[in-house]
Amino acid sequence: MDAKFAKISPFQVDPDKIPDTFALTSEDFAPAGESEKAAMVEKHKSVSYWRDAWRRFRANTVSMVALGIFVLCLLFAFVGPSLIPYGYGDQYRSSQKLAPMEFSAGEKTVASLAGKCDGFYATALQPGSITALPAGDYYITVKGKTYAFTLDKTVEKSVLILNAGADDPLVLVKESDIKDGVYKNSQVIDFTDTPAAGAAELSLVRRVFPHVFGTDSAGRDLMARTMYGARVSIIIGVVAALIVLIIGSIYGAISGLAGGAVDFVMMRIVELIYSIPEVLIVLLLQVVLKDPLQAWFDAGTSAFARSMSDLGSGIVSIFITFALLYWVTMARIVRGQVLQLKAQEYVTAATALGASNGRIIRRHLLPNCVGQLVITTCLQIPSAIFLESFLSFLGLGVSAPMASLGSLCSDALETVSLYPYRLVFPGVILTIVVLTLNLVGDGLRDALDPRLKK
Amino acid sequence: MAGYIFKRFVVAILTLLLIMTITFFLMNAVPGSPFLTEKSTPEMIARANAKYGLDKPLYVQLFNYVKNYLHGDLGTSLKMQEGTAVSTIIFHQGKFTLSLKLGLYALALAVVIGIPLGCIAAYNRGKWIDGFLRVVTTVGVAVPTFVLATMLLVVFAVKLKVLSTLSGSLQDFKSYIMPVISLSFYYTCYVAKLTRTSMLDAINQDYIRTARAKGVKTRALILKHALRNSLIPVITYLGPVMAGIITGSFVVESTFSIPGLGKYFVQSVLSRDYPVIMATTVVLSALVIFMNLVVDIAYKIVDPRINLITKED
Repeated sequence: MDAKFAKISPFQVDPDKIPDTFALTSEDFAPAGESEKAAMVEKHKSVSYWRDAWRRFRANTVSMVALGIFVLCLLFAFVGPSLIPYGYGDQYRSSQKLAPMEFSAGEKTVASLAGKCDGFYATALQPGSITALPAGDYYITVKGKTYAFTLDKTVEKSVLILNAGADDPLVLVKESDIKDGVYKNSQVIDFTDTPAAGAAELSLVRRVFPHVFGTDSAGRDLMARTMYGARVSIIIGVVAALIVLIIGSIYGAISGLAGGAVDFVMMRIVELIYSIPEVLIVLLLQVVLKDPLQAWFDAGTSAFARSMSDLGSGIVSIFITFALLYWVTMARIVRGQVLQLKAQEYVTAATALGASNGRIIRRHLLPNCVGQLVITTCLQIPSAIFLESFLSFLGLGVSAPMASLGSLCSDALETVSLYPYRLVFPGVILTIVVLTLNLVGDGLRDALDPRLKK
Repeated sequence: MAGYIFKRFVVAILTLLLIMTITFFLMNAVPGSPFLTEKSTPEMIARANAKYGLDKPLYVQLFNYVKNYLHGDLGTSLKMQEGTAVSTIIFHQGKFTLSLKLGLYALALAVVIGIPLGCIAAYNRGKWIDGFLRVVTTVGVAVPTFVLATMLLVVFAVKLKVLSTLSGSLQDFKSYIMPVISLSFYYTCYVAKLTRTSMLDAINQDYIRTARAKGVKTRALILKHALRNSLIPVITYLGPVMAGIITGSFVVESTFSIPGLGKYFVQSVLSRDYPVIMATTVVLSALVIFMNLVVDIAYKIVDPRINLITKED
């Protein structure tokens, strides 16, 4: 055979793979065993649409791996912040501009205490502009035992060390007196079992948690910020996709069901919106909406306004932008589906049997559209995340001290030549989130699109 | 054909008018005045408003905009380069040419690299090169432009020092490399993915089998018979690509400090220079709309089966 011709043969049936019907043995005619029968029954069981789709999705290795990684990202974003001791907005005065896994001088000194005591409280590990413990009443609860004590004067650059087994369980040591976990000149603190009224609780740590991604110029832990930013980005993506889903599917369904002049006008509107280069308008909208939204938040008359104000005007105006401009693709898809389904015989049959419009929508149109809706919504999430990060990168969108993956990248840009890792971590996580969502969406399309059903 | 182009032209003008109206009302919805500074008194603002016609009713202002635009007058800048005609800023200070060049190079790169890559992947389906390209293109469409642009900047300009961090006015070939690559990477990957899929569709068609049976050489088969038909979805995608490249140019121009139209648009929005916002929006929108028209006509040339006049949804 011509070598070049053989090259494109993957599209033809491989002759080696056709079963040889003359090579059957007597074993092939033996009665079926129990397991074979069970497999046969299992194979022909009637499966629901979703079970079938899930089976196909599971068989798709790439999508399953992507789903796994995306779940890890979700854990990172939603569970992560409760596992690390740093907050996204907390500034650690002495820990500015640290490289990944680096400790500041104070943290390093304190970190050497790990394993040498039952717990400690260090002023160096506290956020805020004043890293000192003011005079006052305090108490500590460790393993059911309470240590209540009073500080006569404010202490600075000091560590409170607890050693339950020692003669003096609670001591106060200056940071400069600690070297490689050994401390001297300790000041014994007297304690009682019952805390005084209005005493503040101090929580002890056993070791110092590293700044895994380093810290920024304001001394904020970048891992905490990245986790928080990932959470904000994912929430924005999901909410924006849901807004698009609701508006787009209602508009598309009305247009498709009504038909005629209504459909014509509605679709011309869609076409006009479609032909507007939306990003130009989005940028304008962001600037326009920011101040009025802020004013509305500050007025704070309704509970709705107050709950929105927690999000900040940047995020809310992103949602408004999606609600105004990005639903057109969804509307077109839904309209196409409705038009196609409306012409099916079973819909005609249902109409002939006297089913109401509502019943037809609920029983026949909606369940058949659901696959398409899920796919489009899933693929809308990464594009919403993309848009949000783009806006935040240009200085619109999410504003400080909040963070999104885009705003973190934007913050990192000013000092990118000195601290490239500040850009790399949020950038890579943003890429991973978008990539895995794209792959999951592709997998869903293969699993839910009945045309590919074998 | 001429009738179709005319019809599309009318729709394009209508769209531009709509965009002007939306932009106009959005601009005016921003609270405060463009002349509001720490030193300005109410009288000064009133005088400036009267000078630029901002004291007239909104519909009169909008009507004036449209009338002037039809005469080719884009107005004068209020703030950024006070008193300079906007058309001078956009067209004679090299901003438009700079952005256009950047965009067209990026578009050309996406087509020239993306389509052959897609063909190679389809042609070698299932082999390592197909797998490799699939991984690259899948990751490529998940990397935001600004992440790629800044990473390129860090690696090639800061660490290796082979390219300059400031691309400036794109005087030499070297300064084009990073902006064009970061602007076109996403679309190169997307075009490659799209070409691969439609190429595989085309290869499985009957007429390809016939051609192969007649002994047409593989190269000719791919280039002459399969490619033409598989280009249709790719061409449809080029309209959105142009819009996307303009979006990307906002980021790329800020990252590489290129004084182009995209960067200028962002600045004009932030400093609320009304005539500049309006002019940049209209010029960029016109560019996108014009590209969409070109794409639709190219569509017809590639596939004569498509009847443009009775186009259905």
